[in-house]
Amino acid sequence: MRRALTVFNLVVIAVLVLACALIPQHAGELTVQRLTYVGIYFIALVGLNILVGYSGQISLGGYAFFGIGAYTTTLLTLGKPGMELYGHHPPSWLPLGNGMHAIFTIPIAALVAGLFGYAFGLPAQRLAGVSLALATFAVAVSFPQILKKFENVTGGGGGLNLNLPETPFGLDVSVPHWLYYEAWGTAAVLALVAWLLLRGRLGRSLGALRDGEIAAVSSGVNPTAYKTFAFGISAAYAGAAGALFAELVAYVNPDTFPASRSIILLASLVLGGVGSMYGALLGAFAMEYLQIWSENMPFVSKEASNQAPAVTFGVILILVMFLAPYGLAGLLRRVGRAIIHRLDTKTVALSQSRRAEA
Amino acid sequence: MRKALVAVIATAALVIGASGASAMTRTDAATPGISKSLITIGGTFPLTGPASLYAPIPKGMQIYFSWINSRKAKSDGKRGVYGRQIQWKYYDDQYTPSKTVELTNQLLLQDNVFAIVGSLGTEHNQAIRPLLNQRKVPQIFVSTGASFWGTQAKQFPWTIGWQPDYIAEGTAYGKWIVKNAPNAKIAVFMQNDDYGKDYLNGLKEGLGSKASLIVSTETYEVTDTSYASQLAKQKASGADTWVLLTTPTPTVRALATARALAWKPDTIVINSVSAVDSVMNAARNSAGAAYVNGAISSAYLKNPTNPKYAKDAWMRTYYRIMHKYAPGIDARNGFYYYGFAKGYDVVRVLYMAGKNPTRQSLIDATKRMNWANPYAIKGVRDKTSATDRFPISTIKLIRYQDGSWTEFGGLIQGR
Repeated sequence: MRRALTVFNLVVIAVLVLACALIPQHAGELTVQRLTYVGIYFIALVGLNILVGYSGQISLGGYAFFGIGAYTTTLLTLGKPGMELYGHHPPSWLPLGNGMHAIFTIPIAALVAGLFGYAFGLPAQRLAGVSLALATFAVAVSFPQILKKFENVTGGGGGLNLNLPETPFGLDVSVPHWLYYEAWGTAAVLALVAWLLLRGRLGRSLGALRDGEIAAVSSGVNPTAYKTFAFGISAAYAGAAGALFAELVAYVNPDTFPASRSIILLASLVLGGVGSMYGALLGAFAMEYLQIWSENMPFVSKEASNQAPAVTFGVILILVMFLAPYGLAGLLRRVGRAIIHRLDTKTVALSQSRRAEA
Repeated sequence: MRKALVAVIATAALVIGASGASAMTRTDAATPGISKSLITIGGTFPLTGPASLYAPIPKGMQIYFSWINSRKAKSDGKRGVYGRQIQWKYYDDQYTPSKTVELTNQLLLQDNVFAIVGSLGTEHNQAIRPLLNQRKVPQIFVSTGASFWGTQAKQFPWTIGWQPDYIAEGTAYGKWIVKNAPNAKIAVFMQNDDYGKDYLNGLKEGLGSKASLIVSTETYEVTDTSYASQLAKQKASGADTWVLLTTPTPTVRALATARALAWKPDTIVINSVSAVDSVMNAARNSAGAAYVNGAISSAYLKNPTNPKYAKDAWMRTYYRIMHKYAPGIDARNGFYYYGFAKGYDVVRVLYMAGKNPTRQSLIDATKRMNWANPYAIKGVRDKTSATDRFPISTIKLIRYQDGSWTEFGGLIQGR
């Protein structure tokens, strides 16, 4: 049974990776672009999943770290000359170069956001459950205001235009395709890293802390170290996603990172399925496509109420929670398990009958 | 297990490498958005969310286009523009710039629009401006009065504004104060962003050497829920003239706060506040008539609720068409009117772009505007040239009294 599951997982991953690689050849530019957003959200959700799903700490502030990554990339790609061109004068202590290509800024954005996340994780250790959720939400709410305060760095409410994305290294790839592969390539690497991290000591320790902190501590797990690390790594993932987002959108301002997006980020993870990589993937699709679908629902007209899309999103969320408490991934897993179980019993029956023949 | 994983990743890498090598091919034989029978144009607007009070604008445009599509033109007897129906696509960006980018891409790639028309919001248009200019897609008559649509036309030749810009409007107030209240003590209350600053710069320009009349400047953040501390300071400054460089909802709150502080200066509010009667009426309800009557603002379009225009032929046309195509809606809302009036100019430039319009011929047309929009105040001209990229820059001052705004004084050239 276990073996069958592993093989099943591998087949699914292989199909997904292949589909991911081949889609741009057969899809229109808009689809490619939307899937690029899905890839970006996937990265952020994988990170959030480490925090929420594995360490059990609820965060409503994910999008703020996403924003930190986006602003890091903006500043680094514009560089000092670019900022001055737009009439902004960043302080001299800020190590801005002459503008670099966005792809090199991804690890830096992840690092910067990760450090902010780690720093936030330290005091957050004193909080748990609802209080922690509120503290993280405070981060999400104050983030746009803080951006406005440091106008000479962030461009204030007017925001900053990035240079339009282009394909680096003289590659013969169209810009939308490059952005797509960049996002999904980063997503693949980061998902693999997360998987490697979580299957080992880190995952076990986080799980132990989540399920019974006292038991875990008495077995020698350092709660502060692991929990703050989870905050840091989750923020780093959000930062990497934000970097790609900034490159794609080519514009940032405080209104781009409203607190409501943090809630949608968490809701999408819950919708997809907390605690599973497939959940993050399905959540990423939900985040991009659910809004588009809910705007074009045949039975609720936008004329009837301009809140129809938001209500639709909420209703779907409630329905999923009601019918599939482990999210869409949990639902699929149940269906998958049932199929495998049937196949398994058949193989067992078959081998038994063979043995009987022999 | 591990071997299998490596194999999967290696395959993926190979596939990505192989597929990445093939470049995308583009086919743009014809002008996008133009077919034998259709002109497709589009824009983004906040239909939901914090700025959804602007949602009537695209609807007003739609109704104007519906009428153009069904009437027979006097010049050639054809419906639409040279026989082409205008197809108007607009999406809800919820006033979030990243959404504006996403949806503008949808308009370009999925709906294949000819031009982006009237999209709303300063930052939102700023976000899509490089993209549209790179692709040489006209971004015309944006629904924002930031000054840089006109001032940065050299850098972004595919973009053009429409309404009087905030600097021009601020200048008009400054000039009026110098002329009519040369000893005023001015308190400026403004939104802490580029929007507020544009206005303040204009106001100072209009005041000229009298800029020292400003005795107090206080700001607020969009998210502030109380202005009591700022306004208490303004009251203490002894100011008797209050310039509110504030958007609709904050204006109502500020006026109510002034009443709570029993501070009753002469008030100036900006055009986006006076563009719909509902804002000042809400202020009147919460602050009382004494605190809002006599407030001064400016306008460039006729006011659909002003009795003065009840017999105006164009105003009657407006109400007739609105009732015909959207019988259920309240056509007195100034934002429907704004969209409708903008629709008039859009149709004019579409005609000017010619029988076989291209994106180039459309943007060229926006450099040769010279007419009076019949839905604008008499004497206001839409005028542009290769170097003057501010279509409307004439305004008239208006005064609020018990539920409606009345024009007074002569026309003021903001630029």
